[in-house]
Amino acid sequence: MNLFISRDELIRWLDQLLRERILAAPVQVQGLTLFQPISKVEEVTLDFGNTTLSPKEWFLPPTETLFSMQGNDGHPQLVPSTIEKDAVIFGLRPCDAKGIALMDGPFLREPGDALYQERRARTSLIGLSCRQVQPECFCTSVGSAPNDSSHVDILLTEIENGYIVQVITEKGKALLPEGLTESKEELPAPPELQAVPTKEVTQAVREFFDNPYWEQLADRCLHCNICAYVCPTCYCFDVRDYPNKGNPERVRSWDSCQSTGFTRIAGGYDPRAAKGARLRQRFSHKLLYFPEEFQDIACVGCGRCVKSCPVNIDIREVMSDLQQLEAKSGS
Amino acid sequence: MGLENPFVPYLATLKSAVDLTPDVKLLGVELENSAEKASFDYKPGQFALLSAFGEGEAPFGIVSLSRHGDGLEFAVRRIGTVTNALHELELGDVLGVRGPFGNYFPLEDYVGKNMVIIGGGIGMAPLRPVINQILEQRDNYQDLLIINGARTPQDLVFAPEFKTWMEAPRTKLELTVDRGDEHWGERVALVPDVVKEVAPSPDNAIAITCGPPIMIHYTLIVLKELGFKDNQIVTTLEAKMKCGLGKCARCNVGDKYVCQDGPVFTLEQISQFLEQP
Repeated sequence: MNLFISRDELIRWLDQLLRERILAAPVQVQGLTLFQPISKVEEVTLDFGNTTLSPKEWFLPPTETLFSMQGNDGHPQLVPSTIEKDAVIFGLRPCDAKGIALMDGPFLREPGDALYQERRARTSLIGLSCRQVQPECFCTSVGSAPNDSSHVDILLTEIENGYIVQVITEKGKALLPEGLTESKEELPAPPELQAVPTKEVTQAVREFFDNPYWEQLADRCLHCNICAYVCPTCYCFDVRDYPNKGNPERVRSWDSCQSTGFTRIAGGYDPRAAKGARLRQRFSHKLLYFPEEFQDIACVGCGRCVKSCPVNIDIREVMSDLQQLEAKSGS
Repeated sequence: MGLENPFVPYLATLKSAVDLTPDVKLLGVELENSAEKASFDYKPGQFALLSAFGEGEAPFGIVSLSRHGDGLEFAVRRIGTVTNALHELELGDVLGVRGPFGNYFPLEDYVGKNMVIIGGGIGMAPLRPVINQILEQRDNYQDLLIINGARTPQDLVFAPEFKTWMEAPRTKLELTVDRGDEHWGERVALVPDVVKEVAPSPDNAIAITCGPPIMIHYTLIVLKELGFKDNQIVTTLEAKMKCGLGKCARCNVGDKYVCQDGPVFTLEQISQFLEQP
């Protein structure tokens, strides 16, 4: 049974939620739409195709302290960071919710990543299905959909005078306000999306691993890393120590396999120095290694990398090209 | 309370620091917590991440044999920020240890075999516990041949142990350097050329090699010429690492994570990697 919530009821509900816990929601910040903790419901924007950055930053922040080293007597006490409060992410798209579910693969497997695991356990996801799609969207080609409710606790779908509320999990049920009535309206049909062929892509990456295609594609790549930063499933990270007024911190921050020297070892040898090999790593990890480990390709079809790449490297084209290479060799 | 954070290292004390070469120190380390210490067991080939607090963390092969946390040793070459800081530590100073991580040389599978150990420079570090375990269980193995090269005689990392190795039964040690000096009476040659000249037989043999990438590259060619099959050649891969937990994705080579699936691989396994290390 689906419920209905009016716009006014939604505002009151969000207002209630943000009193009890951290509420992160889409907010306009200098022309970008970002998930940020809000203190007033008026800060929320629901006028967006998708957010500029995915909500992965909630679970894997761009920079976070893993532990701090306290004490100046030469004998540090190591104080691990902790997660203080429960949280709700409101307004994430189904594709981005799937991105979080995919990140669970590496971060929740043993030994679990403590901070990620704690945030994940203490955060509820209220999704917002897409009534319109963007030119770069292709979620239906990679196992999701504009109305996919698989990876959220509650999914809202906008209709004329409010939202249809689908309660997916017990965690979601616990968040619901009192007094919502059954929705009289049926769920609207989801918008249609372009189809990107992906069926043979994992096999194609394996087969064409040594193809000159990668070097040609990488020729124009600037290795600016924007694709990794905007991607809901890219999770490569760096770990470094930073001094903090005599109490140094061990800090984790986003990194990318596209960075120069990402794999350079002590002494200077770099097994993956070539541009083509680095760009190939991005696609091989997403389309071949990740599916081998976690049974799904690490792309949710949000199209952010397509939209952000300064030299128009387009994962849809890459997937399509690779499968055509296969077709050529097969004929 | 959340679960234990796997990024937080054990606290340890620097117990000894011996100069092995002008840029390599043998660091003796003891975990502070007795329970953590007693359960710190490992096998030859495994590694740990050492923290110089405030400077960072880096992976090192464990060069000692496991004694329930006693006598834990690392051979650290001074080459970057973290190793520099580790060299600067004084006895009694605190450092961090995470591990042991990774797989190991399956020495129990090699019982009854002739063992060929080929190491270059600081690449001898993960091979030292292999040699010492074979020597401890000498009767379990046939002939032991050690070929050890370095840039100069001063760079032979485990020189203080050469006498013990040479005097062990059915054990031969061949030393070589790129550049000798007036006292040097041994070979001046590249490691692969020495392997070619000494020409160990592949019969019932396992060859384990570790060293600079270029040395490994040419040593593998020579071993194959000598008739060693890919499943008789074992090496340990060096990779940039940050987490040691199979998460940061930095040591990813093909579909393998060196920190979890390695660092020890046979050439047979490596030749099946999509991406060559």
